[in-house]
Amino acid sequence: MKWKISEHQPGRRRFMRLLGRAIVYAGAALVSVGLMGRRGLAAAIPALSTTGYDWTKHRWGFGVDATRCIGCLRCVEACKTENGVARDAHHFRTWVERYVYLKGEKKPRVDSQQDPGNITASGSEKEYRFDNRYQDAKIEKAFFVPKLCNQCEHPPCVQVCPVGATFRTPDGVVLIDHNYCIGCQYCVQACPYGVRLFNHEHGVTDKCTWCYHRITRGLKPACVEVCPTNARIFGDQNDPESPISKFIRENRTRVLKPEMGTSPNVFYVGLDKEVM
Amino acid sequence: MPKHIVRLLLLIATFGVVAIGAKFYFTDKSFGVYGHYRADAVAEIAAAAPIYRGAAYCQACHRERFTQWSAGIHKVVTCETCHGAAAKHPSAQLAAPPAPVDPRMHSRIAAERLDHVKLMIPADTVKLCTLCHEKMPGRPATQKQIEVSRHAAGQQCIVCHNPHSPKLAAAGVPQAAKPVDAAAGRMKAAACANCHGAEGVSPNPVWPSLAGQQRGYLVSALQAYKAGARRDPLMTEQAKGLSEADMIELAAFYASLSCQSAGSSAAAPVVSAGKAKAATCAACHGAEGASGNPAWPSLAGLQEAYLVNALKAYQTGARQNPMMAGLVKGLSDADIEQLAAYYAGLKCK
Repeated sequence: MKWKISEHQPGRRRFMRLLGRAIVYAGAALVSVGLMGRRGLAAAIPALSTTGYDWTKHRWGFGVDATRCIGCLRCVEACKTENGVARDAHHFRTWVERYVYLKGEKKPRVDSQQDPGNITASGSEKEYRFDNRYQDAKIEKAFFVPKLCNQCEHPPCVQVCPVGATFRTPDGVVLIDHNYCIGCQYCVQACPYGVRLFNHEHGVTDKCTWCYHRITRGLKPACVEVCPTNARIFGDQNDPESPISKFIRENRTRVLKPEMGTSPNVFYVGLDKEVM
Repeated sequence: MPKHIVRLLLLIATFGVVAIGAKFYFTDKSFGVYGHYRADAVAEIAAAAPIYRGAAYCQACHRERFTQWSAGIHKVVTCETCHGAAAKHPSAQLAAPPAPVDPRMHSRIAAERLDHVKLMIPADTVKLCTLCHEKMPGRPATQKQIEVSRHAAGQQCIVCHNPHSPKLAAAGVPQAAKPVDAAAGRMKAAACANCHGAEGVSPNPVWPSLAGQQRGYLVSALQAYKAGARRDPLMTEQAKGLSEADMIELAAFYASLSCQSAGSSAAAPVVSAGKAKAATCAACHGAEGASGNPAWPSLAGLQEAYLVNALKAYQTGARQNPMMAGLVKGLSDADIEQLAAYYAGLKCK
């Protein structure tokens, strides 16, 4: 109705109104073209384009079969070497926990490679092995659980970073820009899984990247590469024939702390409810 | 407009211009290209060179070991699980890849990683192997586990096991259910006496003495002849007619006899050279040529010519054993003669 009336408006007013609309539409068009341009850029990381890696085509996923883990800690060793993590008992990008239920006890006893007893068994903080403290104990049940970054769909650590130093890539890995990180450690506190660590030597936060420099070259993460029992599974969730897709399809998997709403991408088999 | 208001507005405007200018100046050019982060960081992180190289990398040079490993039960354990990362191996390649160190944090950390990389030949195999094979609550039942204190008296694992294919061939050597009658073995050994001597001491330099030899080894040798894995015109025929029980009895008989050293006529320097080279053999065949494990033969006092033939047979593949094949590969004819002279000259027990 209004439009009809406007046809009877004097020419100048009508012209001004049309001009106004034209500006709004043109602006919107420009903005959307600009956004599309950005999305187009995202198809390839400039420095990776030579290797033919396209990060929009992958969706990485990780599986852990706790029923196969033997607690040899070769994954921890490989991770430290591959990623230059400090060789001591306080810095780990990945680790293994041991859960032991003794007969008559309701709660499990939990230890990992940084436990003093295990350091004594390995001989130094630079080597990793589980001691055999339960060999003579009466055991109800015992198992090992490897832990690492869950590379959440909704990472709380990224949300709290005040300087844009941590982010999630389109292929599903949460990374840290060590040049931008100011070492405030908000992210360390925000992570519900405790996977972030602080690199005291360089004053920056560090975390598991699923060996981003390896997977973008078509290699497996170092921990998966050295695992002698295939307790660690890695692959592209976009490929239905990848090890991880098969693992998720053929097993009933669960993620850690689903109630946090983080949508983790590490899928576990063989955990008890006590494992958080 | 009052003057003080104008001044205030000018001040605010100046601050705004400075702030916007500073943001443009200090923000990285690639910030915000893909999202609220520096886009170049992704490429910097991905640029780090992999340190673990994978078994295919090792295969290029260590073909024989690779073949052995990929046929055995340890094929699920890659080379670098035990030997460590291969990035700095072989050392000749060290000069090639050191990443250009630019002041940015990612490449600094990436370069530092290499300081800790070391490829190793495990010195203490008990320590290494028990990482996976020590009996421990929590390990799945499918994992092969040993009670370390009750297994092989603390000997190094490689004394009996080939780490690249650890399943013992001789582990399949059948043990008799009841005590074996060595006397019954003596009856059956009548056919062997022509060559190996009535008391297991061979009169011929090419045929080995059997007296006092390890039981398990004798059984596995006869089995190998019967199955065709080891070939000899005389022995193949002899072994064909033997049952498993026969083999066990024969082995028990010969093991019970007291041995007699064949001795060596070689010159002293040859023998001492052989002794030096035998250090490698001692892990399995014993320091004085007396094997501590029933699966492996004692060598002390065996016939010199027989030992030479045996080593050469391993070299040509006429005798097959994954462990021996690797060990004899680097031996020259002179090495073999020295080793044979040394072992033939040793006193046997």
